[in-house]
Amino acid sequence: MGSLTSLLYTARDSLTAQSYGLNVTGQNITNVNTPGYVRRDPLLETRALGTATTGSVVATGLRRATDIYIERRELSALGTSSAASEHDSQLAGVEALFNDLSGTGMGSALDNLFSSFSALASNPNDPTTRAAVLGAAGAFADRANSLANALSDSKNELLKQAQETAAQINEKANSISELNRRIVAAEAQGQDAADLKDQRNSVLLDLGKLVDIRTIPDDKGSIIVQASGTSLVDGTDVRPISVDLNADGSLKILSNRGSTSTEITQFLSGGKLAGIKEARDVDIFDVASKLDKLVFDVGNAINTQHAAGFGADGGTGRNLFDVGPTADGAGRAIRLSAAVAGNPAAVAAASDPASVPGGTGNAVALANIWKTPLSDGRTASEGYGDLVGGIGQRKSAVAQAVETQNAIKEQIQAMREAMSGVSLDEEMVSLTKYQRAYEAAGRVLSTVDELMQDLINRVGR
Amino acid sequence: MRVTEGMKYSQVLRNLGNITSQHAEASQEASTGIRVNKPSDDPIAAAQIARLRANSSQTDAHLNTINTVRGDAELTEATLASATDIFARLKELAVQGANGNNTAEDRKTMSVEVAGLKEALIQLGNTRGNRGYLFSGSQVKTPAFDTNGVFQGDDVEQLVPIGNSTPTSVSTSGSQAFVVAGGRNVFADVDALVTALSTNDQTGIQASIDDIGASHAQLVDAQARSGLVISKLDASQSVLDSVDTEQQKAAQAAGAADPYESYTRFTSLGQSLERAIAVSKQILDLGGQNRF
Repeated sequence: MGSLTSLLYTARDSLTAQSYGLNVTGQNITNVNTPGYVRRDPLLETRALGTATTGSVVATGLRRATDIYIERRELSALGTSSAASEHDSQLAGVEALFNDLSGTGMGSALDNLFSSFSALASNPNDPTTRAAVLGAAGAFADRANSLANALSDSKNELLKQAQETAAQINEKANSISELNRRIVAAEAQGQDAADLKDQRNSVLLDLGKLVDIRTIPDDKGSIIVQASGTSLVDGTDVRPISVDLNADGSLKILSNRGSTSTEITQFLSGGKLAGIKEARDVDIFDVASKLDKLVFDVGNAINTQHAAGFGADGGTGRNLFDVGPTADGAGRAIRLSAAVAGNPAAVAAASDPASVPGGTGNAVALANIWKTPLSDGRTASEGYGDLVGGIGQRKSAVAQAVETQNAIKEQIQAMREAMSGVSLDEEMVSLTKYQRAYEAAGRVLSTVDELMQDLINRVGR
Repeated sequence: MRVTEGMKYSQVLRNLGNITSQHAEASQEASTGIRVNKPSDDPIAAAQIARLRANSSQTDAHLNTINTVRGDAELTEATLASATDIFARLKELAVQGANGNNTAEDRKTMSVEVAGLKEALIQLGNTRGNRGYLFSGSQVKTPAFDTNGVFQGDDVEQLVPIGNSTPTSVSTSGSQAFVVAGGRNVFADVDALVTALSTNDQTGIQASIDDIGASHAQLVDAQARSGLVISKLDASQSVLDSVDTEQQKAAQAAGAADPYESYTRFTSLGQSLERAIAVSKQILDLGGQNRF
């Protein structure tokens, strides 16, 4: 049976515990909009004093309302969706280069080139018509150059972006390793490391947007972070990621430990880094090589026919373009050949030397290349249509993936919010709950005080 | 399920964001009437538009070619018409010369006129068009005939691509119209008449009447062939014109929005947007002011 004095202590304990509850509620309300913040619940227990029943209360700490599985799924969804978003925005740049619907691309340059051969047939003796052929051929080569250069610039730009992303990943990894150290130290001293864990959570969410990560907690409060299946942070040990180029120009992602590097490219599956790699090494490589092949095929088909004809000066065997020996890099290499540049008389309209200067046989043959299938069985304009349609198809598939992945991400974020987020309604109830309890404890205190005064006054009389 | 502040705000943001962007797209489509603005809007239609535009551009090129060569073709026809007129007069003169009532002096006078007409014929044969000498074949820089009427050109046809499966010839051969490739050398026939008239050779004049007639027929044939070139051009042009219209219509249709559909979508999205704004306001207001 407790005494009045012990009731005094019970009331004191209650005041402390309820104000702790108020304090935690205040923290929750304060951080309602803080990213990475996990809602906290105060842990209250009855205070046991030996075997005696005191009915007192003690705040033993707080609990972070978190679920490691939801967090893992969120990190993974974040990685996939940010890979898709990055991929999508890079493809939008490529699509803009080939948007003939708004006047970019090389469809009209290609059409004008073939139209100039038709015009040549209608008046091969006219120097202006011949010059127009050179003009259209030069414009086609320029257009091919500028598209191929833009694609190659994108590749270089994306290499830089990948390297910057790797630097950001390493910076985040260092933060996590430092937070791991502080959390382990705090917990070893029996302190509550909730704020540090929230900070680490927030860094992890940022990191998850950059690369696909997975976290494994240990029992000391530290976590292991795996990026692309390879350890990035293990306790306080960081293995930085770096980006290099393979011999074929594609990106090589390396995990570095001391002087040893391990390639992890094939395991990269999410985050901005994966989006960059996909856009650069799959899409842009593919579009550039298709463009090269188209330019190479068109250039060679025209060259073969042009070399067979005769110019107004009687010369023959001259190519219209310099395309280079292989399709690889043809888009950047194609130029008006030196044999014809600035020399309209070299344009070969006639099919035999006797029919110079009025013969049109070769001009007609050149004009007909537009409807002749090239090496892959498609005509030049069909091939170009396929290229543009292909880019559109990729872009639209990736845009679809962005929507799907975002929906998945949002769903998982809603699950995390439901588990860890702060609800002001709840906090309002908690606030009232602790306030009333605090008031009641105060009331107990004043009642005990009155009783004691009563006792002292009466006994003292 | 717990509903937290974070969920409410992100839901409001997401819904408003989705509907606003759809509404913006729909308003662009409804106001421009264009559904495909970039290849990813509809990749299949974009590839189709690219091909149709390429085809249409070649059709335009063929139409331009027809316009360019039409001038020369018409000039050729007109020139040959003048040449046949000259032969009509030559025939008259030959028949008149064969008439026994004429004196040697009369025939000499006639021979002067005939010689003049020959010069006019050579001049007609050397007519220059847009692309050079019309009757020189591929030798467009060289006059077709020298002062004596000797052919200096060749028989190479001017071929142009105007949408047919094989290139179309749009020139008329000078050697077939005026010299032996056509069967008769018209200048030699005129020369024979001049000689017969000036030497008062009545048998010669009589023989010339048939020869001049044959030459006349040869020129009439040539004129008819040059007329055929023009009708070929006309026929191709009318086919290409309608093809071009169809191709442009098809390219436009492939990328066009259905006006009713796009306007309906625009209107209904506008209503959704209004509703979303109203609901958002309600969600954000709830408890916001009166909770604490």
